[in-house]
Amino acid sequence: MMDPSNPTAKPLPRLTPDNRPFWEACRRHELRLPWCDACDQPHWPPGPVCPFCFGDRVTWRLASGRGAISSWVVVHKDWFPAFRDDLPYNAVQVDLEEGVRLTGNVVGLDGQPLSVGMPVRVVFDDVTPEATLPRFTPR
Amino acid sequence: MSIGGQVAIVGIGESAYGRHLPESQLALGAQALRAALADAGLERADIDGLSLHMGWPLGADYDRIAEVYGLEVDYVFQSWTHGRFVTSALQHGAMAIATGMASLVACVTAISFTREKHILGGPGDSEGMREQGATHGENPVFGLTSPAAGAAFAMQRYMALTGASSADLAAVPIALRRHAMLNPRALMQKPLTLEEHQASRLVVDPLRLFDCSLVTDGAVVVLLASAERARDLRQRPVTIAGMQGIRSGREEFIFAPPGLGINQQRGGLAAPRERDLAVYRAAGLGREAIQGFYTYDAFSPLVLFALERFGFCPPGEAAAWVQGGRIQLGGELPVNTAGGLLSEAHVCGWNTICEMVRQLRGEAGPRQIPGATHLQWGTCWGDSVILGG
Repeated sequence: MMDPSNPTAKPLPRLTPDNRPFWEACRRHELRLPWCDACDQPHWPPGPVCPFCFGDRVTWRLASGRGAISSWVVVHKDWFPAFRDDLPYNAVQVDLEEGVRLTGNVVGLDGQPLSVGMPVRVVFDDVTPEATLPRFTPR
Repeated sequence: MSIGGQVAIVGIGESAYGRHLPESQLALGAQALRAALADAGLERADIDGLSLHMGWPLGADYDRIAEVYGLEVDYVFQSWTHGRFVTSALQHGAMAIATGMASLVACVTAISFTREKHILGGPGDSEGMREQGATHGENPVFGLTSPAAGAAFAMQRYMALTGASSADLAAVPIALRRHAMLNPRALMQKPLTLEEHQASRLVVDPLRLFDCSLVTDGAVVVLLASAERARDLRQRPVTIAGMQGIRSGREEFIFAPPGLGINQQRGGLAAPRERDLAVYRAAGLGREAIQGFYTYDAFSPLVLFALERFGFCPPGEAAAWVQGGRIQLGGELPVNTAGGLLSEAHVCGWNTICEMVRQLRGEAGPRQIPGATHLQWGTCWGDSVILGG
């Protein structure tokens, strides 16, 4: 959540009943995805029901954390004071092996150019004592 | 039941367009309303419906509009200030006329983007932090804010899949700038060259400064009435020939053609589906009858995606198709002939709808498409209105 009293802080995830299991798993350095018990498929974003069969029994299963970049951008504009020192910084969408697409950032590129199709794996970044963000790194 | 031919645009009005205009948003709206009524030869008391494309957090609600302008209405539709709802606001106004819920609907948008700039990205971006986040792919947690992020994700993937380049994309803002230079109201009046486009700063790679719309202030009012009533009014009526609504679902991403592969889209780029071409059937004509195409161009890739979405070129080929002046006046399919959001002003697309009306009245001056009888408004998220006939 963005803290209005502290606009220089980086925004943190906003937890809701639907996405709380995801962020709590991240704090344990686990990547978990919502799977429908009825039709056995994962979906994203987290929701109260399965978008494929409308089943309402969802189990958060451990995911492989492996995927490939499906698109990437590099932010050059100084929108957030909190991100000013990071400019320019990347953001990506990643096709996970499980078949959903997540948004995040890539770390540990060591000068490698970003590309569509680049294989990546998840890593976890404990940004505050209460919040851990999933990020991706080349594999 | 079809809307075809039942409803007409009978008046258009625009405020001044500019940056950091001293007038309030409501004052700009009043300018546009006065101009639209004068254009139509109607009185304020004739208005009995409002269709607003403005609202929280960037604008007033309908009751404030009615109160401030002294209107007494029996029908209201309102969507917030979000580009995706431009067609919806026009369509709801038309449906209210066709169903008899109102006899004269004022479609109103009034925007003070330069005064409200902090809402459009950065710490004031409440949209990104609402439940399940914003839908253009931006997530402030990862440093993404403003819809530019989504358009950039889409263009980057499109380039990887099709081989298109940023230099190819430049043909879009260059064409629209040429149109703007024929339009004295347009804020951008200097020619744009490929070299300048390529040298302009990156905003969100791969989008450069000139791939992003202007941030401006302005207001537009479009008046709708039945085609029957329109015959007795001052202006040559511009009828709504056909329309189709927003396409939405897991295969859609607001700033991409279906199948591109952004957010949860699957499937791959493909020719338009029958359901995406309903607007032509509704209007009773083929795509080849369209003499000019008008679209929401907040970011230049959106023009490519809209052209593919409606089948003006094969999937994945729009970046090549727009080269060589094809989308410029005098070309095969002129696009956004007043300069669009990229070079005229960002009035949420309504400035472009005003241009369609001028074209169909034959009042577009040096920008006139000769003998224009059918023009299409269509967005890359799939809704559309064909005007004329």
